[in-house]
Amino acid sequence: MKKARSIKKPGVNIDMTPLVDVIMLLLTFFMLVATFKVESTEAIEVKLPESVVTDTTKLPEKDIMTLTLTKAGDVFLDVDNYKVKEKVFGDPFGVGLFHPDSTSKSEYETTGGSVGGKPFKRKVTIMNRAQFEKALVDLRVALKNETNGKSDFRIVLKGDMDTDYGIVEDLMAIFKTTRNTRFALVTDVKSDKKE
Amino acid sequence: MAGGGFDAPESGGGLHKQKKYKKGKKIGVRIDMTPMVDVIMLLLTFFILTTTLNTPQIMQINLPKGDESDKIKVDMGDVLYIRVSETGKVYFSRGLSDGTEAPPETVTFENMKNKIEAIYASNPKLLILLKFDRKMKYNFMVDILDEINRAAIEKRYSFMKMEDADKEIVTKAGG
Repeated sequence: MKKARSIKKPGVNIDMTPLVDVIMLLLTFFMLVATFKVESTEAIEVKLPESVVTDTTKLPEKDIMTLTLTKAGDVFLDVDNYKVKEKVFGDPFGVGLFHPDSTSKSEYETTGGSVGGKPFKRKVTIMNRAQFEKALVDLRVALKNETNGKSDFRIVLKGDMDTDYGIVEDLMAIFKTTRNTRFALVTDVKSDKKE
Repeated sequence: MAGGGFDAPESGGGLHKQKKYKKGKKIGVRIDMTPMVDVIMLLLTFFILTTTLNTPQIMQINLPKGDESDKIKVDMGDVLYIRVSETGKVYFSRGLSDGTEAPPETVTFENMKNKIEAIYASNPKLLILLKFDRKMKYNFMVDILDEINRAAIEKRYSFMKMEDADKEIVTKAGG
C-alpha cells in the first residue's frame, strides 16, 4: 500500500529525455554545418544571376580570389587568406578597389566610402589599371610563397545582375594579360527549371 | 536496532514524523529539464536561422592561353556569330566557307537553345563566337552562356570584342 502510493506520481510527468536527445542531435548538426561568413567583401550586396547549368561545380571552400562587381561598376578585389592580404594590401582585412570605367569615378569615392547605400568599413586600396594588374599577380605570388607553391588562387567573379557587360569584358582582357586564363562566374541556382 | 522491543526514546515520538517526511520525498533525483530544453531550443533556432545551406555554384570559363600573336585559323564555315545588342536582342549569323558571313537573323531567347542544337547538328565542328555589346547587362551574358551550356553540343565558344562593324550589322538588322 505504502509502496504503491510512492510509485504513483502526482499529476502527469512527461519524460523529456528523448526530446532533449533529439534536439541535442539537431543542435550539433546545425552547429557543425553552420559556416559564418567573415570575408570582407561579403558585406557588399550583389544580386547574383541565376543559372541552370548541368555540369556545375560548387564554389571551392578556400583559396579563392573574389572579384565583386557592383551595380555601379566598381570591382572589389579580395582574397580569403589574411596573411597574403596583409602582405599585398598592408592590412589583413583590406580590399582592393578598381574602377574600369575611366570616364566616371567609383561609387566608393563619390559617396565618401559607402557601397550600395551602406558604409563600407574595411580599408580600401584604390587602384588604377596597372596597379590592379600588379595586385592580381602579387596576390598569387604571395600565396605561392606562403604555401611553398602548393596552392593557387581560383578566381571567381561575383557580378551583380545589373552590371554592364563591358566591365566583364575589361576584366577578361586583364585576365589575359596577367595570364589568369581560368576563372569562374558565381551564380545562384535557378529555382524554376524551364524545360 | 536489534533486540528486545526497546524503543529508543526519540523514535517513540519521532516515528510518525519520519513517516510523513518519507512520504513527501520522491524516489531518486528528478531534475527539471524544462529550462535546459528552453535554452537548447533557443540555440537550435539561432543556428537554423543563421545557417545558409545553399553554396552558390560556379560557371567555369577558360580563356585562351596563348598571346595575341598565336592565332588559331578556323574555317569560316564552322563559325557561328552570336551578336547581342545593347537592348538585349540576339542575332545569329553563320560564317560561310568563302570568308563572308550570312546575313544576321533575329533569334528569341527561348528559341536559342534549339537553334544552336540545330546548327550543331548540321556542322559538329561548330565554333561559337560571342560578341556582346558593352552596355549589355551581365545577367543576360550569364543567361546566354547558360543556354549554350544547356544545349546538347560540344561546347566551344569564345568571346570577341564587339567592333563598330558588328554594331553596324546589328543596327542594320534592326537594333
